[in-house]
Amino acid sequence: MNVETMSLDRMPVVGALHEFDTNSGNVLERLVFNHRFAMMLVCALATVLLGWVAVTRLSFNASFEKMIPSNHPYIRHYLENANELRGLGNSLRVVVSVDDGSIFDPKYQEALKKINDELFLTRGVDRAGLKSLWTPAVRWTEVTEEGFRGGPVMPDNYDGSPQHTAQLKLNIARAGIVGRFVGNDFKSSMIFVPLLSKDPETGAAIDYRALSHTLDDLRSRYEATPGVKIHLHVIGFAKLVGDLIDGLVKVMGFFAIAALIAMLVIYGYTRCVRSTALVILCSVVAVVWQLGLVALLGFALDPFSVLVPFLIFAIGVSHGAQKMNGIMQDIGRGTHRLVAARYTFRRLFLAGVTALLADAVGFGVLMLIDIPVIKDLALTASIGVAVLIFTNLLLLPVLLSFSGVDPVAAQRSLRSERERAEGRGTGVVWQVLERFTTRRWAVAALGVAAVLAGAGLMVSKHLKIGDLERGAPELRADSRYNRDNAYITGNYSLSSDMFAVIVKTPAEGCLKYVTLVEADRLAWALRQVPGVQTTIFLGDAVRQITAGSYEGSPKWLTISRNQDVLNYGAQQASVNNPDLFNNACSVMPVIAYLSDHRAETLDRVVAAAEAFAGSHAGTGREYLLAAGTAGIEAATNIVVRQADRTMLFYVYGAVIVLCFITFRSWRAVVVAVVPLMLTSILCEALMVALGIGVKVATLPVIALGVGIGVDYALYLLSIQLAQQRAGVPLEDAYRHAVQFTGKVVALVGVTLAAGVVTWAFSPIKFQGDMGILLTFMFLWNMVGALVLIPALSHFLLRKAT
Amino acid sequence: MFLHRVRRALVALAFMSPALAFAGFTDVLDTPASASPLASKGLLNGLALAGKRIVAVGQRGQIVYSDDAGASWRQASVPVASDLVAVSFPTPQQGWAVGHDGVVLHSSDGGATWARQLDGRRVGPLMMEQLRARAARGELGSSADAAALIEEAARIAAQGAENPFLDVWFADEHNGFIVGAFNLIFRTTDGGKTWVSWFDRTENPDRLHLYAVRGVGTDVYIAGEQGLLLKLDREADRFHVLATPYKGTYFGVIGSGDAVVVYGLRGNAYRSTDGGTHWQAIDTGIQEGLTGSTAFGAQGLALVSQAGNLLVSRDDGAHFTLYRQPKPVPASAVAVVGDATVIAGALGVKTQASH
Repeated sequence: MNVETMSLDRMPVVGALHEFDTNSGNVLERLVFNHRFAMMLVCALATVLLGWVAVTRLSFNASFEKMIPSNHPYIRHYLENANELRGLGNSLRVVVSVDDGSIFDPKYQEALKKINDELFLTRGVDRAGLKSLWTPAVRWTEVTEEGFRGGPVMPDNYDGSPQHTAQLKLNIARAGIVGRFVGNDFKSSMIFVPLLSKDPETGAAIDYRALSHTLDDLRSRYEATPGVKIHLHVIGFAKLVGDLIDGLVKVMGFFAIAALIAMLVIYGYTRCVRSTALVILCSVVAVVWQLGLVALLGFALDPFSVLVPFLIFAIGVSHGAQKMNGIMQDIGRGTHRLVAARYTFRRLFLAGVTALLADAVGFGVLMLIDIPVIKDLALTASIGVAVLIFTNLLLLPVLLSFSGVDPVAAQRSLRSERERAEGRGTGVVWQVLERFTTRRWAVAALGVAAVLAGAGLMVSKHLKIGDLERGAPELRADSRYNRDNAYITGNYSLSSDMFAVIVKTPAEGCLKYVTLVEADRLAWALRQVPGVQTTIFLGDAVRQITAGSYEGSPKWLTISRNQDVLNYGAQQASVNNPDLFNNACSVMPVIAYLSDHRAETLDRVVAAAEAFAGSHAGTGREYLLAAGTAGIEAATNIVVRQADRTMLFYVYGAVIVLCFITFRSWRAVVVAVVPLMLTSILCEALMVALGIGVKVATLPVIALGVGIGVDYALYLLSIQLAQQRAGVPLEDAYRHAVQFTGKVVALVGVTLAAGVVTWAFSPIKFQGDMGILLTFMFLWNMVGALVLIPALSHFLLRKAT
Repeated sequence: MFLHRVRRALVALAFMSPALAFAGFTDVLDTPASASPLASKGLLNGLALAGKRIVAVGQRGQIVYSDDAGASWRQASVPVASDLVAVSFPTPQQGWAVGHDGVVLHSSDGGATWARQLDGRRVGPLMMEQLRARAARGELGSSADAAALIEEAARIAAQGAENPFLDVWFADEHNGFIVGAFNLIFRTTDGGKTWVSWFDRTENPDRLHLYAVRGVGTDVYIAGEQGLLLKLDREADRFHVLATPYKGTYFGVIGSGDAVVVYGLRGNAYRSTDGGTHWQAIDTGIQEGLTGSTAFGAQGLALVSQAGNLLVSRDDGAHFTLYRQPKPVPASAVAVVGDATVIAGALGVKTQASH
């Protein structure tokens, strides 16, 4: 890796440029350094061009389909039937509440009507499915001596008069919509707003951010309605994504803080303004290119990929700092800055590429997670790493070859280098670290590590899959969205956690007696599952309508064997509950409303539904899992659970292979990997302690933590092994390794941590979780490497193999 | 006629072997009721007292019983998963339950286990066999009348398990009536071992649904659609129609002392103290359908409504007091055990202290 110890024989001090053979070095070096102006021009042009692309074309989005594992059978079933499942897909619930009085205040109704009308006209709204007190689809029915009669809940030509208000009250009571469209306390009512997946006019995906802002605008305008104090509570995936996008824009602002921290760290390390500025500049250029390429490839920034620039920047800074360090020392020895740049390039290019490859492994493994948003993250991050090869391994030395470094800083760097080589001047910390190569300290360190690992394993047994909290776990508990969600679940009967099994039949099959009885059995089976509050399907409506057509007698709340009765029921249901089956009557959801969306609850429901589907498969009837928010979440959990294991397997596999190629020693691989494993275990324990479940957002953390964390071992062990192979005993070899790379390891750890620690303050909770966990992993991996590598080496690497 | 016969043959075939008709589907008549802790929390339409035990019957063949006035419920073993609607226990041990798919169940252990006595597959053939035999003996009037009656009965019989029994009432452990849709009516005098069709013995030319059958004193009444009220003429072994002031549907009939009360749609209830000759409207104070009733104590009557309201009378139905429920749930049946009132309905059984 870091080859600072390489003999200086082949790189003599060259004070004047004319003494240097410009045709020395490999093809790449000659190509880059003999055409420095062209190189800079190309990079400048690329930066301007890609920057322009990034500014003009980069959009923020997170589409519904991208956040879910679209290849999982459950999701495929859902997506194949999504158009037929009205009301189960992407929808908004807008609840308009009133502070004083009730919904029967005419001013409230007037505002509600206007909100209803505005929502109806909002782009992306599936107008046919919009339901509220002001839509004719919300109906009441009643049995009289003459038969069945009914009508829209809102009286015709409602004018707010006491008569109309009384009529409205009556209609609401006989429609039985309290808890569904009217709050249990009559202080709010709901507008159900299904959304289209594509704008029917432009064919483009719905812009959730614009939609969310439209809703915010609606909220602020109507909450200021004179004469009545109303509030709007909005929940639904589109609003959630809109809030997430606003959050990620805010997070982008943290980039400046992360950059500032990194700048201070680098300056503290080099004490050279010129080179610090260049390292930061090149890393910023890398981010600009990365964003430009992302935009060029047609990707949008989502709450996951927005984090990539932070990582790219941090990695760029830590690698740039090493380049600069090498150049500084050469210049300090009196070498011309151009020659110094070329020497450093010769020494570090391959090592840098290897290190970046190790980072890319961390990102690349994420490709295995079959969730588009994570694959995008992996791809955009890989682009970023590739970009770093150009900006920080090629462009940076070229720029340094022009600017040179501050002479004082160069001398200082050389002095400390010499002091380190002579064993003087290293801090107490570094001396303490050397002791871990002795038996007593090694045993103690490994003992502590074993205890930590044991305790960590015990705690991590409680690690849960999926979301653990009520409401939207993406956002913080006190966020506007989650407060709205709490209001709505508190005042309405049905939870927002819906798990739907899609019953599929040939056309006209859904209203057949056999289908309805089987679906009824499915619903009954689901209702037995703890955590299922209730179930709803076409059969319930048919029972009600059948009883209604027999004058409301509860004795007729049955699924009749008479097909005419069922046909009538379905025909009536298509008016009152069109979301219970599709027009062709071939797709019918059986919906279970769940008390929560914890993984155990979802697992139980999935098991019950799968068992039923397995034992009741019949010709002409299919039971397809799953739709609804909880159905999608169940599929996501299944994918995450599998991905969690395979990803660990692959990331460790890749890291082990990489280490073996680098070290050519199995014992060294063990020494390098064991500290990472301890960190992974402790990270899981930390997740338990912080109440973070394994979910889409936490999967990248372990992969990145391990993939980037192995860098430390690569730095330390490569030097230690080189020394040992040259015949130096372990203690001295490790001392050398720490002397030469300890500071770099610390620098990398601190800059990486600085890059991610700001996420902890993100309004998006999972970014906060990722920030905390990644900071922990980067720092703890650093400590683990510095302490456990010597301790393990004591037992495994007494003799270099 | 030929087509008619073919269709009947097909229907018969279909019900003889349901597995042939729908691959992978087991008919509810061939499926035992599933055991579920939710059995006492789903729709229960019928309530009866078996001594001190409360027995409730409901959807999907669920039958539950309680020996502690409704505090806890146990689920009975039931051979069918049909929706059950009514239950009657003339003695603490012997009980009958009826419901959809023409199901008639019998229990001889106070409601803990049930056996099938009749179902919709047998109702039609049984009825037609008896009617044809009686027509042959000339007991159905002129041959033209008999042919018309047979044809009409055959049409209803051919619907097989489509038609439900809607109520059951047993005077004692031998004698009982079951009534249902389209004038379906059977009588037993041997505890359900044999059932005799009374299709021709009701004054119900429009073949209206019969919703309820109940004995009041020595009389037996049947209430039905469109203001139909029938009373048993024991001499003639026939049910004769009674004139009542209301033309809407009666869901039930109940009696206490000398009084008989019929009730039905939209809060309508009428009372007669002269065996059904004269009727007085009862001011119930409610607009929704009255669905269930019970007689209790010396002069007590209780009614429940679709909106979950409870009406109680302590004077043989002369006056009712309305008790609105704090959290009303549609109610179907009511029973009074000691000082507890048990109401069955859409969300199962609820017990409250009697008023």
